Parts: sequence; C-alpha cells; structure tokens
Amino acid sequence: MEIFVDTLNGLVQGSGFMGFIADGGWQNIIMILISFVLFYLAIVKQYEPLLMLPIAFGMLLTNLPMTGLYHPELWDPATNPYFAPEFIEQANGVVVNYVKEASLDYGKVLHEGGLLDMLYLGVKLQIYPPLIFLGIGSMTDFGPLIANPKSFLLGAAAQGGIFFTFLGACLLNLTGIDSFTLKEAASIAIIGGADGPTAIFLTSKLAPQLLGSIAVAAYSYMALVPVIQPPIMKLLTTEKERSVKMGQLRQVSRIEKVVFPIAVTVIVALIVPDAASLVGMLMLGNLMKESGVCDRLVKTAQNELMNIITIFLGTTVGATAVAQNFLSVKTLFIIVLGLTAFCVGTACGVLLGKLMYVISGGKINPLIGSAGVSAVPMAARVSQKVGQQTNPSNFLLMHAMGPNVAGVIGSAVAAGVLLSVLG
Amino acid sequence: MNLHSILSTVSAEAEAPGVIDRLQSYVGNADQTIAQQQLADPDYWSSVGIITITGLLVVFLILGILIFIFWGMGQFFKSMDKRKAQKAEAAKAAEAVKTVAPVAVVEDAAEEDVVADDDEIIAVISAAIAAYSEADGKQYEIRSIRRKDSRTRSAWSLAGIGENTRPF
Repeated sequence: MEIFVDTLNGLVQGSGFMGFIADGGWQNIIMILISFVLFYLAIVKQYEPLLMLPIAFGMLLTNLPMTGLYHPELWDPATNPYFAPEFIEQANGVVVNYVKEASLDYGKVLHEGGLLDMLYLGVKLQIYPPLIFLGIGSMTDFGPLIANPKSFLLGAAAQGGIFFTFLGACLLNLTGIDSFTLKEAASIAIIGGADGPTAIFLTSKLAPQLLGSIAVAAYSYMALVPVIQPPIMKLLTTEKERSVKMGQLRQVSRIEKVVFPIAVTVIVALIVPDAASLVGMLMLGNLMKESGVCDRLVKTAQNELMNIITIFLGTTVGATAVAQNFLSVKTLFIIVLGLTAFCVGTACGVLLGKLMYVISGGKINPLIGSAGVSAVPMAARVSQKVGQQTNPSNFLLMHAMGPNVAGVIGSAVAAGVLLSVLG
Repeated sequence: MNLHSILSTVSAEAEAPGVIDRLQSYVGNADQTIAQQQLADPDYWSSVGIITITGLLVVFLILGILIFIFWGMGQFFKSMDKRKAQKAEAAKAAEAVKTVAPVAVVEDAAEEDVVADDDEIIAVISAAIAAYSEADGKQYEIRSIRRKDSRTRSAWSLAGIGENTRPF
C-alpha cells in the first residue's frame, strides 16, 4: 500500500499541474489562455494561419510546465555563457585560460536541450528566415518591378516606417514607464517592414527575448493589412489621384528576369554584406524559377521546403514566448509601436506616390505606394481594391506588385543596415 | 569596411570616437538597466538620429542604384524590341490588313447570376481587358459580370451529346 501511495505521490509531484501551483505558475496559465486566443485568430479569423497556428501551438507547448521542450535559460548568455580557450605561452609551456565571451555555449544546448531547443537552433543560427526567403523568391515574379524600376523608390519609401518607428521606440523611453535598448528598438521597428521572416531574422540576433511578441505582432498586423491600410490611403489622397489609370506595363524578356536576381545580389551584398543571406536566398530562389532549368528544385523550394521550414519556424518562435518575456509592459509597447510602424510605412509609401504623381504629371496613381510595405501580395491587392472602389475600370494590381516586391528587397536591406550598425 | 565602421567614423568626426560601440557596451546593474544607461549617455540622441537618417539613406541609395541599372537595361531591351518590330512591320508592309470592328461592351448573353463579390475573378477579367485594350488602342468598360447559366451545357458536353446521338 505504501508503495502504491508513494508511486501516486510521485506521479502527482511530477505532473504538470504542480507547475501551475509553483511560484509564478499562474503566468503560464495566462500564456496558455493567450495561445487559445491565437488559435481563435488562426482558425476562425484565419489571420496568417500557416504561421499563426504553429506559433500558438509553440506558445502552448512551452508554457505547459515540466515538458522540458524549450529552455529559455539555455539561450541567454548570462545563464549559459561560452568560455573560449585562450592559449598563453609561458616559460614552462602553453597554459590554457578560459575566457568568458558574450556568446552561447551551444554544446550545453545540444546536451540538455529539448525538442524545441533543437529546432530553435535554426532560428538562433539564422537558418530558417533565409530558407523561407528562398521559397518566396521561387514564387515571386519581379517582372512588374523590372518593367517599372521607379517602383524601387516606393519600396524604399515604405521602409520609412522602420526607421521612424526606431526613433519612436527611443522616444518612448522618455515616458519612463519602460525602456528599450537600441537593439530592442531596432527589432521592434522592423515590424514596419511587414515581413515576418525579416523581423524574425533581425530580432533573433538583436533582441531574442522579444522574439515571441514581435513575431505575433508582425504576423497579426500583416493579416490586418486590408483593415489598416485603406483609411490611411484614402486620407492622404484625393479622389482624382486615386482614380488615375496607369498604362500597361511593358513585356519583360527572359534575359532581364535572369539578370535581375544576379545583379541585385551582387549590388546588395557588396554594399550591405549583412543583408546577403536574406537577399541572396531570395534571389537564388528567383533565379531558379526564372532560369527555367531547375524545375524540380523550384517545386521543392516552393512547396516541401517552404512548408517544413514554416512549421519549424512558427513552432519555435511561439516557444520563445515564455511568460517572463511575454507578460510585460514591453509587449504592450510592441503592439502599439508595431501598428505605428505599419501606419507610418504605408503613409511614407503613399506620400512618395503623391510626389511621383505630381512629377509624372498625373501618370502615377499614388495608391501603389502603400504596396511598398512588403506584405506580398496582400498590400498590392489592397492598392487594387481601393483603386477599383474609386474607379471601377481601374486595374492597379500589376503596378502595385512592383513596389510590393521592391518592399521585400527594401526591408531585407533595412534589416541588414540595422544589423550592420547594431549587431 | 562595413556600415558600422563607416558610421563610427562619421560619429568620430562629429563627437567622441566609437559612440555606438560605447552605447552598446553598457552592462545592466541593479540600479539601472542597459536602456536607462544608454538613455543617460550624452551622445544617445545624436546616435539615434544618425542611425535613423543613415538607415533610410542607405536603403534609398541601394534601391536607387538598382533603379539606374534596371532602367538602363530596360531602355536597351526596349530599343531591341523596337528594332524587331520595325523589321516585322517591313515584312508585313505588302500584306493587306484586315480590320475587325471593335466590341463595345463585354457581356455574355448566356450569363445570369451576378458574381460581383468575387474580387479576384473581377481583377483577372479587368486585367485581361486592360491588356487587350492597350494592344487594341481602344477603351473598354466592364458593365456587368455574370455567371453562365449552369443549365446550359458546355461545348464539350454538347459535342459528346452530338457524337452519341448522331444518326448512323
């Protein structure tokens, strides 16, 4: 009987329920409830479900006590420091001195990590976001951008959302409620790029403790692009500007489409080497598609590889949303600043679009400027929809795809710039 | 030489050397977090301003270079296309050109149900018409888009019936 009671007691003590009762366990319950909200958003509201659902499930798994799937302490250099060997020559031979470095001991991660720790290596070592970009590149048609290279300007203008939000995050420090380091401010600002993999890429490097909140905010706002953008677009443009019909884009030859990814990679990688992994993979995927000689690889990059990486990326990013990181005032600020970044990015694109409307003598519809935020193809479809509301015979979709895909390159470059300066 | 070193040099000319490095090197303690220490630094706001402006400028610079390159490439290919078109036209010059009367309104008589709520289909149809009107040089307007009556048989179905009911 005693053995039976002991066994039962052991089972109860080892169960996850005890974790909820333990110190701070209530926070896990709140996090699990938040994951339920995300499930609702993903399944019922269909907000970017392909990523939101794995993110929500990762969040659920990491907050169930005792599972040991993810260990936040293994990913903090303060609790898992790396000691680099330093060889010092002395009179009686070489002496090895171990010096503490601001880096992680990956050996310990491999020894003690759980399933999600292992998968998180792909985020931490910045493997998944570039691979997602490979898939995106293999699905993207840069034709509209090549046909109208001026679209690059709109893609660049919309990145204003990133840099002005960086300034805004620093200004928020003055409120004294909470404060962001320069690295954290840059990671929050990148939400304005409206590009999930880029946001994850930069945040995992600069402020991994904010990864969960930033990913959730970025993907939520990307799903809300059709709600966020139209009021700003209508506010900043007149009916006359919105009803401008743009001429048909010229046909782009195959040679141009093949030269494009190679030229972009060379130029971007030479100027901002830190953006090379994102832009390089994006352009590799595109070159495989446009060359027409790698059909099998293109099929894999577009489907199987993209899907596998999406599952790994979503689940592990969700797993980083542990209570102590997520349940803070910072998360609220991230939600506010993320929305600001989206709005400012949209406004910057539309305003430059207006300028181009004036300079071109009314030939460019400023609505295509809002597509410069890179949420592909959602932002371009919003431009098309708002344009067609004003003038039902208007067709802006292909014109908006130019700034839209330019925005993908622009946000990757912006991430590279921030990484280069603050990384 | 990466952006960081360029930026450090720029800041070095204006202020103390390696400002961004110094701001990044703060370590949090019990009294002040890293962010609070950075905020208290006299060079904090100038660094934030420099990062914001430099970042935007670099993005514009890179995409500006790309505009220049692809605009040049576009001009080259456009002139190639023109030359090809001129050659083709010269070859066709002797042939008589048949003209076809333009269709004023695109509408199918066999269509009934309105599918105005399907944006994607409307976008595709308007794209096709926009491309057609550009090539044709005439303006068209979509007055209505209706779904074909499901009771009428498709061409394949009619062909099948014709095949099976044809007298021997």
